[in-house]
Amino acid sequence: MRKKILATTIFTVFAMGLLLLPVLAGQAQAADKIGWVGPVYKELSASLNKGFKEYYKKTYGKDVEITFVRPGGWPVCVDKVRAWAGKPDADIFLGAGAPAHEVLKQEGLIVPYRPKDWDMVPADWHGMKVKDAEDYWTCFAPWIVTNLYNEKVLKKLRLPPPKTWNDLLDPMYRGNVVHTLPYASGTMHEAIEILLQGFGEEEAWRYLRLLAAQLSRFSTGSTDTTQLTARGEVPMGIAQPQMNAMAARKDGFPVKDLLPEKTILVPEAVALLKGAPNEAVGKIFLDWLFSMEGQKYVLEGRYFAARTDIKFSEWEKEGVEMATHAKKALGVDSFWDLQVDFIEYDLDLATKRWDEVNKKYEMEIYRKWGELKNSLFLIEEIEGEIEAAKALQKDVTAAEAKIKEARKLFEIDGAYAAARLAATEARAVSAAVVAAAAPAAKAAPAAAPEMQVPGFILILLILALLVSVVAFIVAFKRRHH
Amino acid sequence: MSRGNISLAALLWLIIAFFVLYPLSYLVVESFKISATGGWGISNYIEFFKDTYYLKTFGNTLLLSTLLLLTTTVFGVPLAYILARYRHRGKTIFTALILLPIVLPAFAGVFAFIIFFGKYGTINLLLMDFGLIEEPINFIYGRHGLVFIQALHMLPFIVLGLSAGFTNIDPSFEEAAEVEGASGIRRFFTITLPLCTPSYMAGAVLVFLWPFTDWLTPLILGQVDYLPSVSYINIAYHFTDVHRKYMGIVAVVVSAVVCISLFLLARWWVERRKYTGLSKGTTSEGRVIEPSRPVKIGAYVYMIFIAILVLLIPIVLGLAAFSRRWVFEAFPTHWTLENFRLILLESPGLIKNSFVFSGIALIFGIAFGLPAAYLIVRTRVPGRDALDFVITLMLAFPGIAIGVSYLLAFWKGIPLATHWIIMPLALFARRLPYFLRMAHSSYLQLDTSLEEASEVSGASKIRTFFHISLPLLLKGVLVGVVMFFIMAFQEISTAIFLYRGGWETLPIGIFLNWHRGMEFGIAAAMAFLMIVITFILLLIVSRIGGGVLKAAWGSGEQ
Repeated sequence: MRKKILATTIFTVFAMGLLLLPVLAGQAQAADKIGWVGPVYKELSASLNKGFKEYYKKTYGKDVEITFVRPGGWPVCVDKVRAWAGKPDADIFLGAGAPAHEVLKQEGLIVPYRPKDWDMVPADWHGMKVKDAEDYWTCFAPWIVTNLYNEKVLKKLRLPPPKTWNDLLDPMYRGNVVHTLPYASGTMHEAIEILLQGFGEEEAWRYLRLLAAQLSRFSTGSTDTTQLTARGEVPMGIAQPQMNAMAARKDGFPVKDLLPEKTILVPEAVALLKGAPNEAVGKIFLDWLFSMEGQKYVLEGRYFAARTDIKFSEWEKEGVEMATHAKKALGVDSFWDLQVDFIEYDLDLATKRWDEVNKKYEMEIYRKWGELKNSLFLIEEIEGEIEAAKALQKDVTAAEAKIKEARKLFEIDGAYAAARLAATEARAVSAAVVAAAAPAAKAAPAAAPEMQVPGFILILLILALLVSVVAFIVAFKRRHH
Repeated sequence: MSRGNISLAALLWLIIAFFVLYPLSYLVVESFKISATGGWGISNYIEFFKDTYYLKTFGNTLLLSTLLLLTTTVFGVPLAYILARYRHRGKTIFTALILLPIVLPAFAGVFAFIIFFGKYGTINLLLMDFGLIEEPINFIYGRHGLVFIQALHMLPFIVLGLSAGFTNIDPSFEEAAEVEGASGIRRFFTITLPLCTPSYMAGAVLVFLWPFTDWLTPLILGQVDYLPSVSYINIAYHFTDVHRKYMGIVAVVVSAVVCISLFLLARWWVERRKYTGLSKGTTSEGRVIEPSRPVKIGAYVYMIFIAILVLLIPIVLGLAAFSRRWVFEAFPTHWTLENFRLILLESPGLIKNSFVFSGIALIFGIAFGLPAAYLIVRTRVPGRDALDFVITLMLAFPGIAIGVSYLLAFWKGIPLATHWIIMPLALFARRLPYFLRMAHSSYLQLDTSLEEASEVSGASKIRTFFHISLPLLLKGVLVGVVMFFIMAFQEISTAIFLYRGGWETLPIGIFLNWHRGMEFGIAAAMAFLMIVITFILLLIVSRIGGGVLKAAWGSGEQ
């Protein structure tokens, strides 16, 4: 009997919990709905959220409820839409550059829609597509791939800001560079694509391997890179959207962007998802986004506006706060007036090898990062030894050939273990030459793998041990007496 | 053994089966799927143990666990000894401070230490300003930083177990050794320490398993080559690369298996080694020493040192919460309420969600925990030990495993994951043992004779429960309620896999704001808000439960 009632009580409590559901879920039934998914930053989503809600209320006399999901960088967002498989949990794919949208288009996950002011966005710029000719995607916020550096920290470290891609490989910057993985961030993916198309594939992978050895760590996304750079934890961030420097400076961080000598335009674009549950509202949003008013909210969201008929100086007069910052950041009155060294960018190629590039980077560089660094550092060390031997008028031709082979194995083939081996052989050869002249000289031991200095822990440990040992000894002595 | 008991047990088992066994077995089944052929087999596992990268992460995790256990033990033994044996002032406050990290969200510490010990954090800036160093010292980025941050978080588990052990040892054992002529140190290592091992092991196993659970700390520090972080990345970043997803699931299953087996091993070992003393008169306080002056000072310095490290977390987060762009300054100069304005105005939903989800999870927890505790303690229903066992096992399960298994199991067949009720349900499943243990020990302390007296006097069992048992249980149960709520409130490992737009809780908000980059201040403010809420809840518990020590870990010995 007692248990019966006990069981009933449990059921009642559970039922109460269940009863709560419709009450809580039912609260938001009245308003129209729209869902965005995409990698845009919070300021933009917040600004657009505010602007579109006001516009909707004003025009349709109704509230609109906006949900925004940002599962991660572009590739993560694309994967999210793929996972929905035609039954999306959102209506609009908001943000990400052309390759992401091309992938979605090819996989039939977005549908064409031409917003009202579509004509106000250029079709292409310096040979790069700004919108899709078949109306699948349209750029609403263009930007350029840049690198970021922290003025204050570089000054403190007495390092000049790097000007070109190759400057970044300078040994003085080692440990002061950060970037993320191409699968976590579209900007990083585009930076790799720039290197691939701008320098040629072999040279690009060589460059990426050497750059990886400069990194202090990998960040978890391009926003993480911005944050690390702005806070000075790592003073140089690779692969950053151009407006990040503007946004960070506005927030008071001593950050500047570097337009590298080779770069591309990223047309941050928007598209309507296939099978969107609120297609009508979605279309209203797209029309609004490209209107003069919508574009102002884009700029207030700290992205550059895409319409060609925009002058920052005019908007400044109208009281658009970010227009001043944008003018200062770009140095021109409209985004499209910018003069930049662009590479010839093959969008189709980039789309085709999208996943492949990400995977190659991850497998060959990221996953072997420790091995890569050990190998390169050993090669550099032995190169130094050979140089020194050469300075002593020793004949080190054989060793030089061997170490060159090691470099090639490292840079071109990405065979880090083999490169290490070759480098060790070079060391043996050069040591033999030196030893033949001066028998006392001994070969240096192989470089130990890099060890992280657990200095802090060590100090703490010693301190704790000391304290406890003293405490115990004295305590026991005392008790003995 | 009435039919009512059996049907109640059946009902509880049904709930366990649906919310624990079904999703977890789904997870295991999924890990055997082969993406290329769509068939089944162990090839994923073979790949996992052949791939140097996964092996490396596995090795890294084991190494981190070992280092973590070593560090916490080295720091914890003297600390526990001081707390348990030395007579000193401010014992309660030190105990409370040192145990605090248990209730603080693990990720809160990371943010605080990045701000304080980062490359251009307070310490480095101060050192550079004084001209002591040229270049910033890398305090936290790397394995040593992980050990430092995780050790501080897990230290209480060691200290709690050991100090309980030190207190409970019958003084006569040590005195006997003394009489026999054993020196102080010899006595400590041959008598005192061995007698404490069972209570030490209980905490040690939780410490050792922590690196298999904590994916966020490595991620924030940029050290992702650890098992839980890799599984998080594999599953959360690569939805459509099915093979990678399966490999991620394999990593989850592997860490779950490691956790469960180590947990069981420790349990078995503790059971076997339980020392039984034959003496009768133990003082409740145990053996307390009045140490000499230098020892006392040393002990104070040591305790203050640890307490400062712990206190850094709320203090630094508090400073960060009330300032914006705290960069390149040893201490913030620009004070503002902007962070809180942004949280309260732009995302009040997070706070509401946190309370609603944890609250509903709590209702489930009570509805399940009270009858379960009753069954386990008061009846002889077959399978009650198994019930206890399964629920306790949830302590060892990595949160990631529960999150992923819920995502998989409640997606297609039983589409619960499309409704927000999945969030409280998952929280309920993840924090299952917390309430139950509390209710369990309260039941144990409740003398049966009181209930029997009531029934003899003619009251029905239900009446007895509501008029006698419940009021007497209330204190323990309320402590359990608050502890459950705190633990559910700060849960992220499970929720991160299940949330969708609009269901974000405060911890997820912290994660997202950190991940979005420039919102470090908001993330810090949210973490601070969580700490404040936790503090308030703790205060309530300490009022009810008496003593913050009890509040932090319920009734101590489990």
